Amino acid sequence: MFLAWNEIQKNKLRFVLIIGVLMLVAYLVFFLSGLANGLASLNREAVDKWEASAVVLTEESDKSLVASSLTIDEAEAVEADETAVLGQINAIARNDDQKANVSIFGIREDEFIMPEVTEGKAFAGENEVIASDTLKEDGFALGDVVELSSTEEKLEIVGFTEDARFNAAPVLYGDLATFQRVKFGEAAEANGDQINGLVLRTDDVSAATDKDELEAIEVETFIENLPGYTAQSLTLNFMIYFLFVISSVIVAIFLYVLTVQKISMFGVMKAQGVPSGYLARSVIAQTFILALIGVAVGLALTLITGLFLPAAVPVAFDIPTMLIYGAVLVVVAIAGAVFSVLTIVKIDPLKAIGG
Amino acid sequence: MTVLEFNQVNKTFGSGHKKVDALKSTDFHAEQGEMIAVIGPSGSGKSTFLTIAGGLLSPSNGEVIINNENITALNEKERSKIRLKEIGFILQASNLVPFLTVDKQMKLLDKVKKNNMNKEEVEQLYKDLGIGDLRNKYPSDLSGGERQRVAIAKALYSNPSIVLADEPTASLDSDRAYEVMGLLKEETKNKKTTTIVVTHDTRLIDYCDKVYKMVDGVLEQQK
Ligand SMILES: Nc1ncnc2c1ncn2[C@@H]1O[C@H](COP(=O)(O)OP(=O)(O)OP(=O)(O)O)[C@@H](O)[C@H]1O
Ligand SMILES: [Mg+2]
Repeated sequence: MFLAWNEIQKNKLRFVLIIGVLMLVAYLVFFLSGLANGLASLNREAVDKWEASAVVLTEESDKSLVASSLTIDEAEAVEADETAVLGQINAIARNDDQKANVSIFGIREDEFIMPEVTEGKAFAGENEVIASDTLKEDGFALGDVVELSSTEEKLEIVGFTEDARFNAAPVLYGDLATFQRVKFGEAAEANGDQINGLVLRTDDVSAATDKDELEAIEVETFIENLPGYTAQSLTLNFMIYFLFVISSVIVAIFLYVLTVQKISMFGVMKAQGVPSGYLARSVIAQTFILALIGVAVGLALTLITGLFLPAAVPVAFDIPTMLIYGAVLVVVAIAGAVFSVLTIVKIDPLKAIGG
Repeated sequence: MTVLEFNQVNKTFGSGHKKVDALKSTDFHAEQGEMIAVIGPSGSGKSTFLTIAGGLLSPSNGEVIINNENITALNEKERSKIRLKEIGFILQASNLVPFLTVDKQMKLLDKVKKNNMNKEEVEQLYKDLGIGDLRNKYPSDLSGGERQRVAIAKALYSNPSIVLADEPTASLDSDRAYEVMGLLKEETKNKKTTTIVVTHDTRLIDYCDKVYKMVDGVLEQQK
């Protein structure tokens, strides 16, 4: 620490530049992680709210909720601690002057999918729905009667709830009958037992169903199979992982250049008997200081930027994830110092004396 | 007491027709409290002799014994420990760390070694070397002579049993050069250390108990 810190103080500009580069990398990592997180919750927050362990869909639906169709009777045969039936259909909802993509959930009021109402009241009558509160930003309000793209049915927003987006669309929660009227129109009565899936809370997912036509899939698998979800999160996560590698390489290059410049100085110290281990530790300590400051400033900058972003940008900062990424950045930076450490260990003190 | 001993030590660089016998087979010993000068023309092998004595360079043959320990048998890590504990180098080139102030040059040694000079001793040393006002300066802000004096302070600071100095007075005016030699001599006598000074300047040999002359790798005692 002694050498590390004194050198930083003497050569402030040089080290501020290195910190600056690290800070930018950290900023990018944090921002991407915010974006990844934001986009992920856009897709999955309604599902996360269920706190469920699995979803039962038909085998032939290939893990797609929309494509799955089963009867309540079939669902009732499934074994789990708690179950909730779910009907789902996508639609475009329109009030007098706004349009929005929505996902309509048909549920039972007494089952665990039932959302908590944060404004207004729960659905009770025919065609009443609880809507995701993000629809408020899109210009929808309590009492709005919305038209749907695919049907004559109109739905009334009687309440709002938080964190209710599914596959990037705000959710409208209604009872099963409402859902079936939207989905089947005239034929709703005849299809009164049709749902898309059954949501489970259970310890033993594999024991839930032994029917060949049905498949119980873990919630995480279910989410990964939402259209576009995996492609999106993979892309962003790859960018983050590449940034880890890049920052390690940047630090390695910077430190290596610095170390090469200082070879004769290290040699002099070694000639005096200062152990290589001490010099190596000081380079590591220096990297640690630089990386820590860079990451901390990057983190602060990211959070400040977050305050000024328009609501439409889907960033959501998850502090624990960011702290982990920050720690990873510090660790990869230190890994980048390994080259320099090897160089120092190999320095021949005699070279420093130069004859 | 013998502090440093060379038994049949020689050093050759290169091989074939490029072979240089920098140091021919040499027996040498230095006693506690002795101040020794090594003089000789450029390229005669003085620095080679000194770096072997300090365990920085391994001899081609023979053994070097420092305080009863055969350092030729040690690995670099162990030799580095011996250097730290027993030897104070004053190098031909500046041996200061560029980003540390004069005071911190000394403090660095506190970080890696115990039993260095205490406060009063350092103050006295600074005063003797005339560098008391320079303590918060960086090497880049010092003149060549000042740097040399700080390097001397650094070598003595760790209370070494052997001080090896390669042209310590090269960048000093003659008054300062005499003072520095006087100081090294005083330290040698007071602290019962052994000092070997390589120098071109034959006027400085008056300060020394023994004088060796190096010619073409052959060390010969003159006084
Ligand atoms: N690393 C080396 N490789 C090859 N030859 C070397 C090496 N170091 C020294 N020599 C040769 O060994 C001989 C002695 O060199 P040394 O540095 O000991 O001389 P010196 O007496 O200290 O000279 P000066 O007074 O100029 O410092 C010289 O001929 C030099 O060229
Ligand atoms: Mg020399």
